[in-house]
Amino acid sequence: MSASLDNTKSYLEVNPGWRNWVVTLDHKRIGMMYLCGILAALMLGGFFALLVRTELFSPGAQIVHQDWYNKFFTLHGAVMVFLVIIPGIPAALGNMVLPIQLGAPDVAFPRLNLASFYLWCGGATLLLLSVALGGIDTGWTFYTPYSIETQTAVLPAVSGAFLLGFSSIFTGLNFLVTIHKFRPASMGWFQMPLNLWALYATALMQVLATPVLGITLLLLFVERFMQIGIFDPTLGGDPVLFQHFFWFYSHPAVYIMIVPAMGVVSEILTTFSRKPIFGYRFIAYSSIALALFSFLVWGHHLFVSGQSRLANMVFSALTFSVGIPAAIKVFNWTATLYKGDIRLETPMLYVLSFLILFTIGGLTGIFLAVLSIDVHLHDTYFVVAHFHYVMMGSTLVAFLGGLHYWWPKLSGRMYPETIGKVCAWGVFIGFNLTFLPQFVMGSRGMPRRYWDYDPEYTLYHRLSTIGAFILGMSMFTVVCYLAWSLKRGKKATQNPWGGSTLEWVAPTPPTVFNFPEPPPEVELYEYDDLHEVENANQDGVTNWERRPAANKPARSSHH
Amino acid sequence: MSSTEHDKAGDGHHDHGDDGGGHGGHGHGSPWIQHHYDDAQHQFDSGKLGIWFFLVQEILFFAGLFVAYIVYRHHHPEIFAYASHYLDVKWGAINTGVLIVSSLSAAWAVRCAQLAQRRGLIACLVITIVCAFGFLGIKFIEYSHKIHEGILFGGRFDPCVASGGDHLLNKANRCPGVTSSVVWDVKAKKATKGCLDAETGYDWDAGAKGIQGKCQVAEVKMGGRGASRAEVGRRTIEACAAPSAGDGHAEMAGHDTPAHNTPCWSLVVNPHVCPKGPAAMVHYGDHTKRTDIEIEATCEAAPAPVAPADAFAGTVDRPGRGDANFKAPQVQSKHDAIHEWSNGPPPEHTNMFFSIYFAMTGLHGLHVLFGIFVFIWLLVRAIKGHFTPDYFGPIDYAALYWHLVDLIWIFLFPLLYLIH
Ligand code: HEM
Ligand SMILES: [Cu+2]
Repeated sequence: MSASLDNTKSYLEVNPGWRNWVVTLDHKRIGMMYLCGILAALMLGGFFALLVRTELFSPGAQIVHQDWYNKFFTLHGAVMVFLVIIPGIPAALGNMVLPIQLGAPDVAFPRLNLASFYLWCGGATLLLLSVALGGIDTGWTFYTPYSIETQTAVLPAVSGAFLLGFSSIFTGLNFLVTIHKFRPASMGWFQMPLNLWALYATALMQVLATPVLGITLLLLFVERFMQIGIFDPTLGGDPVLFQHFFWFYSHPAVYIMIVPAMGVVSEILTTFSRKPIFGYRFIAYSSIALALFSFLVWGHHLFVSGQSRLANMVFSALTFSVGIPAAIKVFNWTATLYKGDIRLETPMLYVLSFLILFTIGGLTGIFLAVLSIDVHLHDTYFVVAHFHYVMMGSTLVAFLGGLHYWWPKLSGRMYPETIGKVCAWGVFIGFNLTFLPQFVMGSRGMPRRYWDYDPEYTLYHRLSTIGAFILGMSMFTVVCYLAWSLKRGKKATQNPWGGSTLEWVAPTPPTVFNFPEPPPEVELYEYDDLHEVENANQDGVTNWERRPAANKPARSSHH
Repeated sequence: MSSTEHDKAGDGHHDHGDDGGGHGGHGHGSPWIQHHYDDAQHQFDSGKLGIWFFLVQEILFFAGLFVAYIVYRHHHPEIFAYASHYLDVKWGAINTGVLIVSSLSAAWAVRCAQLAQRRGLIACLVITIVCAFGFLGIKFIEYSHKIHEGILFGGRFDPCVASGGDHLLNKANRCPGVTSSVVWDVKAKKATKGCLDAETGYDWDAGAKGIQGKCQVAEVKMGGRGASRAEVGRRTIEACAAPSAGDGHAEMAGHDTPAHNTPCWSLVVNPHVCPKGPAAMVHYGDHTKRTDIEIEATCEAAPAPVAPADAFAGTVDRPGRGDANFKAPQVQSKHDAIHEWSNGPPPEHTNMFFSIYFAMTGLHGLHVLFGIFVFIWLLVRAIKGHFTPDYFGPIDYAALYWHLVDLIWIFLFPLLYLIH
């Protein structure tokens, strides 16, 4: 590696070649590598999902029998949760954007950042190893005692998830310190872009919750390896304790997934409405509130696991209260749209999808938090539909939105807009076709994780399978055209969307240390003096330039 | 390290946060200041915050085990009271001292680094490393003792307890030093072989009342393996010389009183092993694992010597275990507590105590091991003279980590060793 780097050149140009990439300490390159890995994992997880859906097209055996079916849904879930959705926004998009939004040259601990990436790779390899060793059939939740007894490849999968957990912890730690110590003197906490608030809240949860998953998986590992017995009822252990530990992590984990998505949505929404975000402080505080509440509600996954009645009631009530900060955000976003100058480019299409899907997903979560209802709906397709609306319909859709939003900045190229819009619609329609029927069949008693079903559910399953293929094709197309655009896309301008945060002041693509000159102060979420210049470069791409409006009234900052 | 991408000149640097500017230039003094930091202070503060967050995650990592401890202790206090006697308070206490000393030397190392006292720094690091090794050495002694005795965790729990308190009955009859005629089936949680079967009607605490019995005990020497395993010879074993005949605790005294005529048998009376009567336990007086012998015993209870007072009092109808008004015996002292339990297999699920013991101390031991690597690395760097009053972050962070490791032990020691 060369001893000196030229900070006037783009980070993509300096030190090219994969040998330099794999040892890079540049947060943008690390983010890009994460992105490649995560998109590959997304396709793998999607492949398993399509196998599951194909099997369910009709009652009875279609392509496989029970034991393989169990492995398919387990691998689908484990890959999607641990490899895709949890690292998706923080590790890939967050890594690329966070330091630039702060105006910092890098994250606080670049080497730790690279180590996190390699932990991710190690975890991914172990998960793949478990596929190679015949798969695993416990479900992504690894519930004991079945995960102790099953003969499938639990050990590599569990150790993989363990490493992925530490990858996540170190990313969170890095972000926390970066946000604390690398804010420019001019940027107070309430001058931070909302994306940073969201990443901060996420990082808090990553650091506080993930270690509990770590110790749980470690105990499960030792259990299978040498019978330590803590979760094994035949030895006097308590399998429900496993569920408590697992959800003490995994409920915050669902907020590790959703909160950064909310950050991305806040950024895109104001940019494409050309209006300051409504209720900045409410959105910022509600991210932190979600992070704190998320630690108090894990028991809603154990309503029918023999938890005491009192605990059930407390957890049910606390779960309702989580709806409050979530709803605060939705109201603020809606208010931001009100009378906005809304532009329907691809990122915004994803964000509007998010708003609809998250509302459905969150509200059905409230249904499930009602004790008497959950007794009926637990372990049915209703739960499957609920968490897909939030995990896929919200987090993954926001991830796609953010990807399109920052893609020009990071890759220096525009993606093809028309086909991008078509795919965004494909995702929205395919998604709803897949999961709306699941609400219906779940409420009529179709249990989850079943390989066969009564003929009366056939119609719903068929609709769902068709939807899944539309969804799969749309997302696959997205990955293809993004790859295509790396070389062939139109050259991007510095600020193609008219964003107001610091990353749109940095060159496109950013230089090695992001800013060749110390970055200026920006007026956060102020759009009045940003002007659209069409055909700003040789490829005819739009750019937004900041110059004082001719008759701009003196206006103070909104915070 | 110095060849990282960031060690170069001329990035778009600006002042950060609290230091209020003034460090715009890039003349970082020490070669160890990475370039994306404003200055040494910025790097130090960032690292310090980072290590604090790391310690928070460490605490949560251990928290899982502490919660498991609370849950199991809450459900099964008897297991914890019983099993902690098998931990040696002496070693635990010594290790506590060792760790406290090492924490002190680690803290002193930071001070030396700040004051540029290189020799002091090296000495402190060496003391810390030596103490850490000492800690692990003592843990090694404790662990190997337990492995030897089969006092392990979960499904590996296969201990030996002899009458008297120090050895547990081996579930498969393979105790080093002691072999009993009782075969304990862990799954079924009862003795499957070797108990006196006759309807003798002894109370469960017959032993305490001085029940006597007589056994015919033979040691059968076995040869061959698996299916071809067969008897190749046998000899009769005599009863142990009882220290004081008539003493109600005579049968239990196998441990306290060295049996001079080893091997010899003594009577075991334990409701958990043999609900209906006594069984024989053979003492060999050494700690050799004997896999080539089996014990055959037929025991016959002698009638209890009836105390004169009892003869007039008539029969007392004592409720047995499982009856609604059954009361567990009052345990008066630690000595009694040991006697109450030590004559047979431990209370149900005693293995869970050792699961938790090994999980907690094992994980803690791994942290100590990791600490040793870190301190050796620091020692090498200190010898090379890397640390200056401007740059001593790694020592500070490692010391903080080490204090946490120490602190966790300070919780583990009473929680595991000092239960009553
Ligand atoms: C608006 C707030 C939310 C509420 C009130 C809520 C409530 C619930 C409840 C009560 C359950 C348990 C259902 C059962 O198993 O019987 C559940 C399951 C689940 N939720 Fe939510 N939820 C909310 C948001 C989210 C979000 C944002 C995510 C993910 C991004 C999520 C992911 C999940 C998952 C993965 C499961 C089930 C996991 C499994 O059993 O495999 N939820 N939710
Ligand atoms: Cu939950």
